Amino acid sequence: MTITEKIMARSSGKDKVIPGELVWTDIHSVMTMDFLGKQCFEKFRSLGKTEVFDKDKVICVSDHLVPPPNQKFANMLNEWREVVKQHDITNFYDLGRQGIAHQIMVEQGHVLPGTISIGTDSHANTYGAVGAMGNAIGVTDAAVAMATGKAWFRIPKSVKFNVTGKWQPWVMAKDLSLHIMGMMHWNGHLLYKALEFTGPAISSLSMAGRMTLCNMTVDLGAKNGIVAPDVVTERYLRNRTQDKWEFLNSDDDAEYDQVYDIDISDLAPTIAMPGKLDDTVTIDKLIGTKFNKAFVGTCTNGRLEDIAVMAEIMKDKQVHRDVNMILVPASQTVYLEALQAGHLETLIKAGVAIDTPSCASCAGLHTGVAGSGDIVLSAGNRNMAGRMGSREAKVYLTSPSVVAASSIRGEVTDPRTFDI
Amino acid sequence: MVKGTCWVADDYVMAYDIIVSEHWTSPIDPIENSKIVMSGVKEEFNRENGFKDKGYTFIVANHNFAGGGKSIEHVITGLMGAGIKGVFATSFARLQFRNAINYGLPFITCDDIHLACETGDELEFDEASGIIKNITKGTEMQSVPVAPFVAEVSESGGLMNYVRDKIAKGEPIG
Ligand code: SF4
Repeated sequence: MTITEKIMARSSGKDKVIPGELVWTDIHSVMTMDFLGKQCFEKFRSLGKTEVFDKDKVICVSDHLVPPPNQKFANMLNEWREVVKQHDITNFYDLGRQGIAHQIMVEQGHVLPGTISIGTDSHANTYGAVGAMGNAIGVTDAAVAMATGKAWFRIPKSVKFNVTGKWQPWVMAKDLSLHIMGMMHWNGHLLYKALEFTGPAISSLSMAGRMTLCNMTVDLGAKNGIVAPDVVTERYLRNRTQDKWEFLNSDDDAEYDQVYDIDISDLAPTIAMPGKLDDTVTIDKLIGTKFNKAFVGTCTNGRLEDIAVMAEIMKDKQVHRDVNMILVPASQTVYLEALQAGHLETLIKAGVAIDTPSCASCAGLHTGVAGSGDIVLSAGNRNMAGRMGSREAKVYLTSPSVVAASSIRGEVTDPRTFDI
Repeated sequence: MVKGTCWVADDYVMAYDIIVSEHWTSPIDPIENSKIVMSGVKEEFNRENGFKDKGYTFIVANHNFAGGGKSIEHVITGLMGAGIKGVFATSFARLQFRNAINYGLPFITCDDIHLACETGDELEFDEASGIIKNITKGTEMQSVPVAPFVAEVSESGGLMNYVRDKIAKGEPIG
């Protein structure tokens, strides 16, 4: 069996599962957040329950709406707080301890290798970075899981990406994500599939890189993305969870729907063109393209490693006068670590505005949204018309290193040729 | 057996455009959601009840219907509130496929069905056999059968009812 099949077999109390089979599985943790959470609890109660299956395993996070930018969201947040309090939830990451839910789930040890965690937000696929099965679901599934500790799943076919070669300087996991996006497209090849990333170039990735990679598998239409746990995982989880886990991996004779070999030695910084995530080009096609807004943050690229790369590139330089640049750390923990490491000082001196952890403009709901005519260079994950605000804005998606180097020049710049 | 006219979607009908972002934080409510469903897909749907007033019963699409990875259930309740009784496509985006199953709205996989239908054609769908007839054109297609669990949830009127019933009876789930 593949690692995903093994996790699903264990979680459903079976020795073996086969793709296509429908099972009910145990859920390790359920996440919900500010703008959908109240509806989850209401639906949960309508099932005839008053207590959730495990108060420690229902994780509540405020991320899309904090701090509230308007009265509507202020009221929603107050109702949300009330409902979380009513249910005596142990792990509530509200303003002050907040972060983007997916970052919180992994960084605070709420996901565990070899188990299944679900969340009412699409990028729950991120949890695959630690060898868990992370899955996005709607509020109905969340309500059912809150009541029963279970969810239904169809066992997906697995697809393997065997990634070899050596990463070029300033080329990041995001570039691999966008490269795969351009190579596979949205149109069906990877729909419902479990994507497994393996090979030396994955082993050498930090947890931050693995999170980026698994995070964007939802945008490929996949069911989940996963990296089998190894020593990087072990080191990462050591101080984050007391729960026991094993080094689960795919069997040598596991069956895959497809296997793709990717050599990343020549992988160039890659950019998704405005409007369509799978319309990607290598950076040479866009060198010199002007933009007026730069954004680094989100559950894809708002981590310490991303901020460190920016700081390294931007040290003692200035953001171009025609560019507004915003950095939003993915969580309070990331924020503090970036502060302690001195990165924030470097970036503030360079003219970068730092916003408090939240989803910010990523979904066009919160701070820093794009207006008509804006051209945004973003390290986020989605760029459909209207995603970051105005439908008349254009959003290019790329890595933090490209955003950093380009923001100094005021035009798309290859960090590999930038004088750092 | 369900009968009615269809709307044939263009490629890339995204969940985002079916329910635009300003409504993601609204309550999940079929009547309210149906007023604005599809408003980002086409200019002609971009007014109150713009899609609903067309009176379509089915949607026909190519690949990745309701894609873009949005888990919000307003997409499904909006379509149901607008009178949609079935969506036929070569493939669906996973999250909305799942939500549709949970709400008992048939999302039926049928390869290349978009090539066999035009907007306004009258279709007839037989849930039991999975046969989709295009009455206007006099053709018929066999769709992929739904899993027994999916049919069971649909018969219960959705996952909430299905689970509520099990909990009330003290029966185990799965
Ligand atoms: S950062 Fe963006 S993609 Fe991630 S959870 Fe928030 S809104 Fe969704």
